[in-house]
Amino acid sequence: MRLLVIEDDETLRESLCRQLAEQGFGVERAGNGREGLYFALEYPVDLAIVDLGLPEISGLDLIRELREKGKTYPVLVLTARDRWQDKVDGLAAGADDYVVKPFHFEEVLARVNALLRRSGGWASSTLSAGPVTLDTARQELSVEGKVIELTGFEYRIIEHLMMRAGEVISKSELTDRLYDQDFERDSNVIEVFIGRLRKKMDPENRIKPIETLRGRGYRFALERSQSGQQ
Amino acid sequence: MSGPAAGSSLSGRLLLSVSLLLLFFFGATIVVLDVAFRETGEQAQRHILDGHLMSLLAAAEPDGDGASLHLPPDLPEPRFGNPGSGLYGELRDARGNVVWRSRSAIGVNLPHTAPPIQGSSHYAEISLGDGTELMALSLSVAWEMPSGDLAPHTFSVAESLDAYYAQIAAFRRQLLGWFAAVAIVMLFSISLVLRQLLRPLRQIEREITEIEEGRRQALSEQLPSELHGVARNVNLLIGNERARSERYMHTLDNLAHSLKTPLAAVRSVMNEHPESELKKRVETQVERMNDIVRYQLRKPASYASEGFGLTAVAIQKELKRLVEGLLKVYKDKSPHIAVDVADGAVFRGDRGDFLELAGNLLDNACKWCRSRVELTMRPCSSTGIELTVADDGPGIPEEMAGILLERGMRLDESAPGHGIGLAVVRDIAASYGGDVRIAKSPLGGAEVTVTTA
Repeated sequence: MRLLVIEDDETLRESLCRQLAEQGFGVERAGNGREGLYFALEYPVDLAIVDLGLPEISGLDLIRELREKGKTYPVLVLTARDRWQDKVDGLAAGADDYVVKPFHFEEVLARVNALLRRSGGWASSTLSAGPVTLDTARQELSVEGKVIELTGFEYRIIEHLMMRAGEVISKSELTDRLYDQDFERDSNVIEVFIGRLRKKMDPENRIKPIETLRGRGYRFALERSQSGQQ
Repeated sequence: MSGPAAGSSLSGRLLLSVSLLLLFFFGATIVVLDVAFRETGEQAQRHILDGHLMSLLAAAEPDGDGASLHLPPDLPEPRFGNPGSGLYGELRDARGNVVWRSRSAIGVNLPHTAPPIQGSSHYAEISLGDGTELMALSLSVAWEMPSGDLAPHTFSVAESLDAYYAQIAAFRRQLLGWFAAVAIVMLFSISLVLRQLLRPLRQIEREITEIEEGRRQALSEQLPSELHGVARNVNLLIGNERARSERYMHTLDNLAHSLKTPLAAVRSVMNEHPESELKKRVETQVERMNDIVRYQLRKPASYASEGFGLTAVAIQKELKRLVEGLLKVYKDKSPHIAVDVADGAVFRGDRGDFLELAGNLLDNACKWCRSRVELTMRPCSSTGIELTVADDGPGIPEEMAGILLERGMRLDESAPGHGIGLAVVRDIAASYGGDVRIAKSPLGGAEVTVTTA
């Protein structure tokens, strides 16, 4: 998943971005409203974290602008102004949730995960499709009730595929959204990880959770079991 | 107007002064009229006595032997003949012996008035033994007898002053009655005029109350020219007060904003370090600073404005925005939020304060509810509201209710800000002269009620 962090305080921005990258997110960053708006409109973004008190273009105007331009991905607001008036203004402008400074990183992470899951059409933090269950809160994958041990990277891939279950996701998108820009790009890596995931989740090749569509990408093929469609 | 003593109210002072002036002028007038009436009455009395004396003189004639004068028994004035009529006549000779005495004087001992100088008359006020006041007139004459001798005689008439006094008393009664009536009518009309004159002042008073209650923005311009300056200055003061309060809130906000971002940076950077004693200590201090910033730098707007920043808040619109926002934040739960605002329930105060009250209560309710949240708002007293938010969550145990309202206390650390939210609500309610109650809701969970005065 690719996140865009727009925050003018450099120390805070860099620290937040480092921790998000550590969690496996691809992170784009901007230090002012103008730059942030450019990234928000022109880059592939799954979620934006926006500080409201930005120089050049305020956070509120930025959110309004990107909603007007048809961007629907979730926006998490960071705000130092914790009066309800400001929170309501942010939500009315098009933000989906807010975190009040000074936040704990875990709080931001929890909100980001919840927003991403919701934008994928899942209503609860546990995504289940047939025998496969992904608990995003505990970052735990289980098949037929059995917990599958995954590396961080494998988890990110299956999470991304399951979040958007049913959709075809291209290899380049996966690369784009899972790696940070400075990460070594090698499309073979994705193939290797998908292969490992299949082996771990479906050793007898019975369930066939991940489908390969030649030339187009991958798709999580199992039917969603919950009525969380938006 | 409530309370002020008569002396300190303008109309009271004016009425008091007017009453004193009326008392003085009417009193003087009454004295002058009384004196004039008494003198006129006395004058008239003397004329009447003159007349009676003349009639005695006319009726007197020498007796048969010509030695002395005598008067016939039937005199033209019948009152001389009726005992106790109050009109008496007497004739004495030169030695002071009574020669004739009217029949009316039988049994009445008229004192002998000193014989005046020959040929002159003399008025005197005398009183009888029983206290009856009389006015007497004596005239000494030298009567030319048929013999040619001059016999000095003293004619006296006296009349009781009872009637005269009764007249004066009646006159005084009438005089006082009329003046009292006139005074009352005058005071009444003056107070009517005063009311009319002071109406603009009362209007200003009423309008200032309306401004305090948030029903009006400024004093109206429709005032007498003398009060234009006052109205202009009051409006200027209100304007300055609003601007000052906005500046104050703005400064506080900016201060909080500029402190929180560095705090967030410190916390974020510390989070990247492995667990250590230092990290824990820094985290504790960051938490303390954050509580101070959140709690101390957020004073209800009404503290700053002290009544002059109050306007009626369009509640329905604010609540709609708030509920829409909260439904976004609590999308996973998607609680059913029922809003029931009674007609005429208007929050008179700062818009931000209202959002803090409703926002904190609804946020807590959404956080703890299972599926249902109810907000009810009713007017309470003439200007206040009663805002109740109920949920179907686990509720707040009674023993925790008091502690929760204390600043910074948190019932559950995993739901950050729960406690401080209620403390903020309590502070705002207090600044509007109201309070916060925590109870069990009919839905099964917590029910928090805020009232403002």
